[in-house]
Amino acid sequence: MGTLDGKVACITGGTRSIGRAMAEVFLAEGARVVVNGRDATKGAAAVAEMNAGDGVAFFAGDASKQSTVEGLIDFTIGHFGHLDICCLNSGGVAMTAPVAQMTDEEWTLEVDWNLNHVFWGMRRALQHMIPRESGRIIVTSSVEGKLGKPGIPGYVATKHAVNGLVKAAAQEVGTLGITVNAILPGIIETDIVRSTGPDSAVAMGLKGYDELIGMFTAESAIKRPNRVEEVAAVALLLASDAARNMTGCLFPVDGGTMPY
Amino acid sequence: MGLLDGQVACITGGTRGIGRAIAEAFVREGAKVVINGRSAEKGAQALAEMNAGDSVHFSAGDVTSREVCEALIDETVARYGRLDILVANAGGAPDAAPVASMTDEAMSFAMTWCFWHTFWTMRAAINVMTPQGSGRIMAISSVEGKIGKPAISHYVAAKHAINGLVKTAAKEVGTLGITVNALCPGAIETDVMKADGPGAAEAMGMTYQGLLDLFAAESAIKRLNEVEDVANVAVLLASPAGAGITGSLISIDGGTSPY
Repeated sequence: MGTLDGKVACITGGTRSIGRAMAEVFLAEGARVVVNGRDATKGAAAVAEMNAGDGVAFFAGDASKQSTVEGLIDFTIGHFGHLDICCLNSGGVAMTAPVAQMTDEEWTLEVDWNLNHVFWGMRRALQHMIPRESGRIIVTSSVEGKLGKPGIPGYVATKHAVNGLVKAAAQEVGTLGITVNAILPGIIETDIVRSTGPDSAVAMGLKGYDELIGMFTAESAIKRPNRVEEVAAVALLLASDAARNMTGCLFPVDGGTMPY
Repeated sequence: MGLLDGQVACITGGTRGIGRAIAEAFVREGAKVVINGRSAEKGAQALAEMNAGDSVHFSAGDVTSREVCEALIDETVARYGRLDILVANAGGAPDAAPVASMTDEAMSFAMTWCFWHTFWTMRAAINVMTPQGSGRIMAISSVEGKIGKPAISHYVAAKHAINGLVKTAAKEVGTLGITVNALCPGAIETDVMKADGPGAAEAMGMTYQGLLDLFAAESAIKRLNEVEDVANVAVLLASPAGAGITGSLISIDGGTSPY
């Protein structure tokens, strides 16, 4: 008996790191889950590692593309019959640069990946959830959704925008049994951070990856990075019936970094 | 197997309302819990209703007294050997009035009951938790810890002060394995609300039902919150997964607070 028995979830960017941790706790609580990712090989590996049989499926595609995000929602509903929990988790930066050197291409990518992907997914999911008068939208935002940091202006701007989108949508569907919330993690050493961190450090004028991690953790109270399991536990709470009266919430999981 | 097996919690104002819901959730997850309240009669009733044997202990006392707050922490440690979780939950604000006519007594009482009690219990708890190298402190704040409402400046100021205290303490003990968070519920029709609400409504120029309707109207869910909403978040913060969450002011308000 799990808290998500009978529920169906989909997760963008769900093969590794935060999204993967969400998938695992959802599965453990009885949900069926579709995870999305760009790489079919990583997707197959994730499905095999989760060892959840028919309870988990993989949907390949780039979450910065509208066709992928809407395709994921449609696939999930087709595959498992409905959609209860939509986790819009994918996101990141491909190239770090201060505003003065930011390229149009990078800016557009970050807007598509971090903001538009959330909008496309939320809109499609809500169109399914509103007639059912039931649903959970959970967006992985960031501590950067409340703070600014040099060298990642697109990330900061799009995460702020996502928080606004969450608050607006929450007001729209609040009486329909649908909650819309954002989780705001602090720095976590995910695959994306490990791969883009060294370049980000240079763009921020730091010596290297360790100094980058150190800068983020120094701003926290716990002086360590957060962990994916900490984010997943909050996602589980928000996905469950226990959080039916929590909506429009920007839930920090940042070890005491944000001022508000 | 519970999330809080072997943990010891202390909850001020734990016989009824939010504190009671948290106590029940903690016991369900395997914790031992000391609940505090002013009335021995209500305490005995709570123990009987909770029916949790030696896992729950009642400590009578009024937390507007520093001695009571400090003795409560000592009693918890004496009874169960340690203190892992403090929930500073008690609080309220009778005698609502606009600032222009707010009495010193009403302001002082609300500050003592909400803020000073939180500070006194937190300070004592940190002194127990620091040598343990672990602990969870939760203050039950309010949506009024983030926004203002006319005629309850004493409550609003006290809850804002609690949020500031939480943020500061979180920074101080962040590397010691101790987290400090504030839970900010929207309006819930608890005993305290039923006691203080009619006076607050009158000071705002409306009926009690009108006040409840206003709270609901300000939310996205258009209804009041429930005590279990707060208890569910408290369990998460108390659990191992809560280790990375500190200094947070968590809104449990159906979409009322703007941040």
